[in-house]
Amino acid sequence: MVIRRLVARWQGVVLSLIGLIATIWLGLTGQLALYIHPRYFVFTIIMAVIAAVLALAAFAFAPTVQDRHDHEHDEESDSRWGWLWPVGSVLTIIAAIVALLILPPSTLTTATVAQRDLNGSASALTLKAPALPSKGDYSAFTVRDWASLLRSGAGQDFFADKTATVTGFITPDKSDSNVFFVARFVVTCCAVDAQPIGVPVYHPGWQDQYKTDSWVTITSSFRANPNPTSREAIVLMPDSITPTTQPAQPYVY
Amino acid sequence: MTLPAVDKREQPAHEHKNPARGFASKSVVRLVVGLAIVALFAVVRVLAPRASESFVLPDAARDFATLSISVVIESLPFVFLGIVLSIAVQVWLPDGVLLRRLPRSPLLRRLVLSLLGMLLPVCECGNVPLARGLVVKGLTVAESMTFLFAAPILNPVTIVTTAQAFGWDNGILVSRVLGGFFIANLVGWIYSRHPRPQELLTTRFQETCTVADHQRGSAGKVRRSVQMFSQETRAMMPALFIGAGMAGLIQVAVSREVLVTLGSNPVWSVLALMLLAFVVAICSNVDAFFILSFGATFMPGGIVAFLVFGPMIDVKMLALMRTTFTAKTLLQLSLLVALCAAVLGLAVNYGH
Repeated sequence: MVIRRLVARWQGVVLSLIGLIATIWLGLTGQLALYIHPRYFVFTIIMAVIAAVLALAAFAFAPTVQDRHDHEHDEESDSRWGWLWPVGSVLTIIAAIVALLILPPSTLTTATVAQRDLNGSASALTLKAPALPSKGDYSAFTVRDWASLLRSGAGQDFFADKTATVTGFITPDKSDSNVFFVARFVVTCCAVDAQPIGVPVYHPGWQDQYKTDSWVTITSSFRANPNPTSREAIVLMPDSITPTTQPAQPYVY
Repeated sequence: MTLPAVDKREQPAHEHKNPARGFASKSVVRLVVGLAIVALFAVVRVLAPRASESFVLPDAARDFATLSISVVIESLPFVFLGIVLSIAVQVWLPDGVLLRRLPRSPLLRRLVLSLLGMLLPVCECGNVPLARGLVVKGLTVAESMTFLFAAPILNPVTIVTTAQAFGWDNGILVSRVLGGFFIANLVGWIYSRHPRPQELLTTRFQETCTVADHQRGSAGKVRRSVQMFSQETRAMMPALFIGAGMAGLIQVAVSREVLVTLGSNPVWSVLALMLLAFVVAICSNVDAFFILSFGATFMPGGIVAFLVFGPMIDVKMLALMRTTFTAKTLLQLSLLVALCAAVLGLAVNYGH
């Protein structure tokens, strides 16, 4: 059967090409950071180019001895369920094309925050505790730095005179509807190991103004949470919140 | 895409007239087809819709896609590196160079092979094609298993990241390295006693070994390398894509809260984290950072079990290893490794 042999022989090379073109395109458009840590960029692109050359060469030097074995497998798989294999292979190729070549690249969302404990991560926050600036200039502090400080238990006195400017996406606090988090994902290797971290923001009725997962920049001082039963004792309490676009590197490292 | 399948080899009369010219023209046609496919895919990617309000998937579906794609993009270069190393070992390394230098005693050979990961810091997905290459080159099935299971753990990157994450304090690093070394060698020893080791391999992979024997010296090395690339991607790519899809799906679908509630029990923490290792299918080079986030919730034995079991067996690895080993062998291996990892984890939990 022609289709079966075609699929059997070319599935690997075609799937490789789909992955390689997606990788190189993400690299060229600066979107590789949506999926992997920047330290892997050079390695990933070099391997992609080498593999692309090999994949193209594979077309030119099509297998020869292999063909005989394809025939044998064709005969073997002519059983009642023999059609399942080529159908599955074609579906895999279609799924790969849709996922890697058609869907717009995107970051992780609140659905994953819910699956992974927000600020529950010891690794994301304590491995890189921020060095406190000697001149009291906290303008370079990121969501990660502030979240680390909040988690480390620095008291209200410490935060009393501090102003934070943080950019992140909005994700709701599970226990307090007046609070949302300005959140980012900390990525160690790739999006699979992303750990959500966030700074709590007290803003009653935020749901009416802002969408979950939309990106915002907030400049605000810290206050004690007006709701004493909330899990978050210290929160940002901004007068206004500036909607912004997703940064080129949405994750922090 | 239809052109490459036209198998003119079945017309020997035609080929015998001028085989070199026939092959060259066929190669050009196939190369053009290949370039056309690349161009088509590139155009699809460039013209595909940008993210917009009208093209927003539900969050869970979007994250499923992002997580799966991330596994593919992160693993691809390592898989290709593994394939390239495998080609280097099979085609370019002179016969016997590697195997001759290994100790004769089977036990020592496996001990040395389990340390080979120190020299080849490829994470586990890249080790599968490399292990296949080593079997083709003459390694026994049991020896390849020892290498496959030990290398991702006894690998400098893995050891350094585990040390960064956990340090020396709680014995997690030592338990991981020694435990992984011991389990890999135990598995190798058990399977070295198998009376018919070839039966552990899939029919297709056995054929690959036979084909490689026949091919030796018959074709040019460059051509053989390229053919081997085609052969290995054919085995690895569907496994990688399907494995990545499963890893993404399970991460979105299975609630972590269920796992976390199990974390404080000495027995359940071990079993729950082994299950987590199986489903998240994370690379051994960085899994220590990932599991550190569960450090406060889970007992250390659970973390050791996660760090030892995950690099050896997970959904992605099973899919990749299925290219080489039979389903029955993989089931036995999974149970054996799981049992060892569980015993190790329980020993750490109750020893503390």
